[in-house]
Amino acid sequence: MVNEFLGHLFPRVVLRRNLAFSYTFCLGGLAFTAFLILAATGMLLLFYYQASPEKAFNSILFLEASVWGGRYLRSLHRLSSHFMLVLLMLHTLRVILTGAYQKPRELNWVLGCGLLLLCVFEAYTGYLLPMDQLALWATQTGMELLTIFPLGSYLRAILVPDGVGQPMSLLRFYVLHIMLVPLSVLLLSFLHFYRIRKNKGVLPYL
Amino acid sequence: MAKSDQSRRKFIGTLILSLAGLFSLGKFLSPRVPQQKILLSVAKAELPLDGALVYREARVALMREGDAVYALSLVCTHLGCTINVTPTELVCPCHGSSFDRRGVVLKGPADRQLPRYQVVQRGEFFEVVV
Repeated sequence: MVNEFLGHLFPRVVLRRNLAFSYTFCLGGLAFTAFLILAATGMLLLFYYQASPEKAFNSILFLEASVWGGRYLRSLHRLSSHFMLVLLMLHTLRVILTGAYQKPRELNWVLGCGLLLLCVFEAYTGYLLPMDQLALWATQTGMELLTIFPLGSYLRAILVPDGVGQPMSLLRFYVLHIMLVPLSVLLLSFLHFYRIRKNKGVLPYL
Repeated sequence: MAKSDQSRRKFIGTLILSLAGLFSLGKFLSPRVPQQKILLSVAKAELPLDGALVYREARVALMREGDAVYALSLVCTHLGCTINVTPTELVCPCHGSSFDRRGVVLKGPADRQLPRYQVVQRGEFFEVVV
């Protein structure tokens, strides 16, 4: 059953010249693998993280000090997030350099840009959660930058209604980080892959 | 036959991997709980010289013998009933085990002495820590 399902992910027709490894370097597939690792480790981290300003940092300390594999999982989560962003940038670069954004694949280019922005936002929301000094001030400066953009102060009021590092803001970042943004990334990724398949693109993972 | 061997190998491999995964998950989900819990806190003046205070709810007796203060668990080491404290000895109502005031077994069926908890002096209070 699993094999049949996997078989259906493969396109019926593939252009031979798309199959060369040096065309894609598997960058998109690797980025999605990083996403899967992030989902798995993130789900385990949920067992210990407490999303309130007083408890957040202590729950991280507890996770690192007293939980078997806690420090390993958290490091894996953090490193995978760095890798994912790097891979996504490289993937974008590859798409630009090979001209893959041109017709008939321009819709997938737009989807991909959306994915890139969502992933950066996902990383940004995750950055606040440990509630250490780095997290707090990085988020603070990010929110100040946001106000420069048109409608920025409006967005800021939605994201941090009671100031960076206060209970409601932390909760909002938390919900965005673990629910809304990852689900959107997943949904958009499937659309992205569907478009590849439709455009007689590459096999899964290439 | 060759084909069924192949699938058995696969099955065993999958089994080992999932058992290892489950084991790791179980270990990850059972953290070391480091904190000492304060079972009870008693004002020093309340504890008479050579007397005892019994806390049946917490199943602890706080004893004083001259300068020495110690806390005895009131869980019978036989089958876990709560022990009654009498002026001379400690008697378990379930099967009649008895202990002296230091927790040493006088009469069976219990065969181990009562465990002691740590008592910490903090200001005007004795604190029993677990």
